[in-house]
Amino acid sequence: MIPLPQLLTALGWIVIALAISPMLWLIFQPYLKGWSRSERRAADLLRAILTPEQVRQLIWQGYLEVPSPTEPRRVYRVPRVKGYVQVVENGRAIMRLCLQPVESLPDADVVVLHKLMIEANEENYLQKANKYLCVE
Amino acid sequence: MGMLRIMSRRGDDRLSWDGQKALTGDAEAVAAVREAERIFAQERAKGATAFRVAPGKPVERIEHFDATAEQIVMVPRVVGG
Repeated sequence: MIPLPQLLTALGWIVIALAISPMLWLIFQPYLKGWSRSERRAADLLRAILTPEQVRQLIWQGYLEVPSPTEPRRVYRVPRVKGYVQVVENGRAIMRLCLQPVESLPDADVVVLHKLMIEANEENYLQKANKYLCVE
Repeated sequence: MGMLRIMSRRGDDRLSWDGQKALTGDAEAVAAVREAERIFAQERAKGATAFRVAPGKPVERIEHFDATAEQIVMVPRVVGG
């Protein structure tokens, strides 16, 4: 028979472990994903397409700025992980765009996808994306 | 050397070919170009978009396979979310 205090201590540790495991998962998930073959291949493509400065920006700032090919004061902020693309004009966020591939892709591939689409045919990109205006 | 990269859930699938050898009629190189051309057409039929990418040059969307391209990246069909 296990004494009650020891049983309570064990139960306490189990509760603590259960409580912190989602937090640990959130912290380590990006690193674990980075170990997968698909993420490594996508990271290779990303490094092949982006300049070293752009890669640094993506890592340190969490987004890639893609200048508009048609509007000099506009940049698109493409997040490192899946999410909205911000449209920034004169330093102010004016709109959020949502556009996603029909097939699930690694995060790094999604960044490349946005960059290629914006640079090759911005008008078509804007037509396809769902737009959400930023209201102050 | 040319390379076709097709984005997928596995990262990207790659196929490369030697354009110079293909021009001289090298059977293996010609077969690689034909295979790349076949995959390009197959992905386009599924709605993928193709981009010609070269360092220092603007990205260009292409409708037809280009065996002289240094790198072609194909992205799956996209939809507004």
